[in-house]
Amino acid sequence: MSFNLIGLRTVAAFSARKLLMNRRWMLVMLLGALVALVMGYAATEDGANMDLASDLMVILLLAFLLPVLSLIYGASMIRNEMDDRSIVQVITAPLDRRISYLGYYIGLVMVLCLLITVVTVIGGLAFLMFSPERTGGAQLIITFIALQYLGVMVYSALFLFIGTLIKQPIYLGLFYIFIWEGFVTSVPGSIGMLTIRHQLQVVGSELTEFGSIAWTTGDWAVSILALVVVTAVLVLAGAFVFRQEEVA
Amino acid sequence: MSNVAEARLLSKWYGQVIGLNNFSIDVPKGITGIVGPNGAGKSTFFKLLTGNIKTNVGHLRVLGEEPWQNPALLAKIGFCPDYDFLPPDLNGREYLRFVAGLHGMDSVRTATRVNDVLGIVNMVKDADRIMGGYSKGMRQRIKIAGALLHEPQLLLLDEPLTGTDPLIRKEMIDLVKDLNKVHGHDVIVSSHVLHEIERMTHQVALIYKGRSVASGDISEIRRLMSDHPHNIVLEGRGLVPLAQTLLTKPYTSSIELRPDRMGMNVRVDRPEEFFDSLPELVAGTGCELERVESLDDDLESVFRYLVG
Repeated sequence: MSFNLIGLRTVAAFSARKLLMNRRWMLVMLLGALVALVMGYAATEDGANMDLASDLMVILLLAFLLPVLSLIYGASMIRNEMDDRSIVQVITAPLDRRISYLGYYIGLVMVLCLLITVVTVIGGLAFLMFSPERTGGAQLIITFIALQYLGVMVYSALFLFIGTLIKQPIYLGLFYIFIWEGFVTSVPGSIGMLTIRHQLQVVGSELTEFGSIAWTTGDWAVSILALVVVTAVLVLAGAFVFRQEEVA
Repeated sequence: MSNVAEARLLSKWYGQVIGLNNFSIDVPKGITGIVGPNGAGKSTFFKLLTGNIKTNVGHLRVLGEEPWQNPALLAKIGFCPDYDFLPPDLNGREYLRFVAGLHGMDSVRTATRVNDVLGIVNMVKDADRIMGGYSKGMRQRIKIAGALLHEPQLLLLDEPLTGTDPLIRKEMIDLVKDLNKVHGHDVIVSSHVLHEIERMTHQVALIYKGRSVASGDISEIRRLMSDHPHNIVLEGRGLVPLAQTLLTKPYTSSIELRPDRMGMNVRVDRPEEFFDSLPELVAGTGCELERVESLDDDLESVFRYLVG
């Protein structure tokens, strides 16, 4: 496989720019505002503290915003370009398609990390602004940003792969987020561990002492390893599928 | 290597739909025109040449190499598709820089080549405008500039004249000729209009329903077409003596005179002879012709004839 670093950088930068220029940013702003509103309002309630902030971040960010944004941006990224045929420029360049796929993945991760950071900071600050207790707030925000970066890596790989593999990726993505992760996580026993969210919570339990996430049981090193392996497998599988794909 | 592309018994189908069927062709150096009606398989051929899709059956070689899953070959090919894919929010120069990046060109070479190709396609003046505001002709030029940027040996231009006005067409035809004569690129260009291709090159291949029905020098194809019986409409005044004279000519198969005597349909076996003798016949019979039109000049009828 020939390695064209300039080509890889170009695909990553151009696809990231394309995602940021897309009108979906309005939806992101709306979701960000919702998170800020809920967290700000929750902070005014009696007994609001960092445990509540942590629990809210798990529900609003880790369980909802992170996978939903990854799905919205990731599943449509390559699929849309195939559908409107703008992908022709990339696939007729002397760039191995596996490298191009990696470029798309990097672009997606960069954009999602940026969006997640903005929303988490806004939500966190909204809570701290109205909360009587602020000790550990900054650390909690940084912890959840780091945790979500890890999540962005895995979810991006998952939804980019699904978007490359099938023509209607949104339905499968929604099924994964709301049925599999929403339902299976709450099932007692080891099957409940077979979700990205659970593995992120295990890692989170090592990083913070606030909220119910701190009580999640499991080996954080194994969780990180599992997430990294799953990411690598999904990226490689996606690159393979993209290479084999006929673009009519 | 005498041919830039060679296809042997190539077939490509999409589910139940056949794109190309036992398609064989040798594309020599220079400019080659691929002519066929819409849906004939021209775009499928281009997609196979660029390795966007793979053949189901048969062999295809482009510049001596298999195109499927061969990104290195794409460094020698520049492709300009027939559809619009340009990002509307970029200006022409930014788009070309993006293309240069995909080709792994460094910033110094990119700056030089972008200016060069903008000059070749005559887009220097509009290069810094947003492409969303470009006319069809400008968009075609920028697409060709993008295909030229990495100095490919072979240029593939899929229907570059579609949707352009007559003035732009002439400029584009001149550009395609220059790309070969001045800049040394081999060019495969497609169109569904034979006479447009004829203005670019004498080397053509006719595609119909996924098959190559004829290829070679345009004069050979013209000869085949000349053997094809033609239906010709004549309109004017004093047509009866002309009809009587035409009936004595060996190339006339039949004549159908309209009731108003102001028009007739003539079927001829050798249209070249008919057209050569027509001025003399008109002068001899004293008729006044207002319209002469061959109904069989459209490609569809020619193709139907060629495939029997």
